[in-house]
Amino acid sequence: MAEPDTVRLRAPSERVSPKARLMWMCTDLLRCVPPMVLLVLATGPWHWFDLPTWSLVAIGVLFLAYGLLVPQWRYHVHRWEVTETAVYTQTGWWARERRIAPMSRVQTVDHREGAIARLFGLATVRVTTASSAGALTIEGLDQQRALAIVEELTRTADSVPGDAT
Amino acid sequence: MDAFDSALAWQRLDSRMLLVHPVRDLIRFLPAVIGLLLFGRSSDSGGWWGLIGIGIPIALGLSRYLTTSYRITSSRIEVRHGLLSKQVVSAPLDRVRTVDLTASPIHRALGLVTLRIGTGQSGGKSEERLALDGIAAPAAASLRARLLHLTPSAVTGADADGDTEAAAAVDDRRVVLTLDLRWVRFAPLTSAGIVIAGAALGVVAQSIHTLELTPSVDLSGLAHLGLALLIVLGLAVVLVGICVLAVIGYLLTNFGFQLSHTRSDRAWHLRRGLFTTRETSLDDARISGVSIGEPLGLRLAGGARLSAIVTGLDKKQQGSSVLVPPAPRGEVDRVAVEVLGTARPVTTGLVGHGPRARRRRWTRAMVPAAIVATAALVTSYAVSWALVVIAAVVLAVGAVLAHDRWQGLGHALVDRHLVARSGSLDRRREVLHTPSVIGWNLRATWFQRRGGLTDLVATTAGGRQHVRVLDLDEAAATALAATATPGLLGPFLE
Repeated sequence: MAEPDTVRLRAPSERVSPKARLMWMCTDLLRCVPPMVLLVLATGPWHWFDLPTWSLVAIGVLFLAYGLLVPQWRYHVHRWEVTETAVYTQTGWWARERRIAPMSRVQTVDHREGAIARLFGLATVRVTTASSAGALTIEGLDQQRALAIVEELTRTADSVPGDAT
Repeated sequence: MDAFDSALAWQRLDSRMLLVHPVRDLIRFLPAVIGLLLFGRSSDSGGWWGLIGIGIPIALGLSRYLTTSYRITSSRIEVRHGLLSKQVVSAPLDRVRTVDLTASPIHRALGLVTLRIGTGQSGGKSEERLALDGIAAPAAASLRARLLHLTPSAVTGADADGDTEAAAAVDDRRVVLTLDLRWVRFAPLTSAGIVIAGAALGVVAQSIHTLELTPSVDLSGLAHLGLALLIVLGLAVVLVGICVLAVIGYLLTNFGFQLSHTRSDRAWHLRRGLFTTRETSLDDARISGVSIGEPLGLRLAGGARLSAIVTGLDKKQQGSSVLVPPAPRGEVDRVAVEVLGTARPVTTGLVGHGPRARRRRWTRAMVPAAIVATAALVTSYAVSWALVVIAAVVLAVGAVLAHDRWQGLGHALVDRHLVARSGSLDRRREVLHTPSVIGWNLRATWFQRRGGLTDLVATTAGGRQHVRVLDLDEAAATALAATATPGLLGPFLE
């Protein structure tokens, strides 16, 4: 192995749209609603089990903290970069995942706008390769930006020779 | 006749399938047929019902035969079927990854085989449809040779007469491995063996339960034997049962196992099976690596198993990529070297991952063990002293696992092959040809980042779709990836 101390992988250069934080707050909080409602119903009107009120409140606070703080953390981590030769993304919060795929192996480029993402004018770009373990996703991009990236990716991937397998 | 013309004509499956389909459909509809026959007997219009009951399956089989046909053009293989909703499934010939010949006992009696074509498309459904159920064995062999033999010169030169080609394919066949029956001793040691045996035991227990076959043994006589002895006896019976079932399962799938290589069509051929025989051919160019499986039990007995990482075949089609069933380690290594064409990735010593990786193995094994042990100790006052023993056992198992997982951890990059080993109960040494590495994932949790570690994952289009190097020093991971795929990481390094 060549001089392991000198090389370091840097983070990708571009951040996602700041509005992504609001979008993630919405999705994360919405994700907390069903279990919370179930918990309240189960202890309250249904009498499945008994939990003291303070523990319900504590759980609610935890959910709220998750919905409000994790999106900040996510925004801090999520980054992306597209060059002539490769796509590079960084996602996650507790577990950070960096993915690199060479342009010559890109198979499909998807542009997706979820219902909540659309409320904030955001979109997701997803780049797949022949490996099902190697798809790269960039969430929370401005719609215009996302479309531009899709076009750029498609153009570059087309110009690189190779059958992508 | 011109080869091109004959290739363009739609061909039926072998007419002997007319015997197979009705028999199989009859078996499939057996409950309904019996019901109809019984109903027929009790009603006035007796014979008619019976006739319908037998007639429908036969008609279905007939229609299936008449409506299924296939053809091979210069660039595609096409299969069409369906009576009411017609369907044509086709695949480009250069996408053919594997060719699989299976023969059930009925097929074997009639000299037929089912030919399945693996194209590596992820939609599992079309994969199933690209099957020619029932063509004569010699015809299937020559068809296989043609499907795998896809250099442009081979396609234009393909002779309509398949026999000469098949004969040529047999000639330069070099047998690399044949099953030694003594290897069945490894059968009970694999997780697959235990799963099969467990499922079989479950089915037996379930059927005893549903049929209410309560064994009418007088248990009072056994009472004075003592509970402990009964438990030991019971466990022994279960163990012996598992062993026997695992051995039977091993023989059913692997009897007559033979791995051979042919130079003319540059492919590996694998034949196995006791009742249902299966022949798989893997194109050389599609084999991007191997995975040597050494689950704990096998490893302790000096065994291992080998499967190929085949481009375009994913985990669901693992059955197609077995190269060596559970067998002695020496045999597995020998075959792995043959398949890779180089010995160093198999034999070389691996680079360990340092003290921080070791600490992580230990915390990950011991923290859950400690929680369970503490819970057991705390409740042991109230429940039973036996919980103290359980706590000790849990801690001991955790320590053994941690140590073994640490021992297994390692990686190497030799002869353009990435080698990664990890795991304990399911230890694997995976060897991947670096040109088959598509991209890299570097995943690190907060704990890992604090320790300067990361998991390095090489993504690929075959096998489990990735090769994971666990808990590597961050700088070492970057260097490894940069060396394995020159140029890819370049713009992102600092």
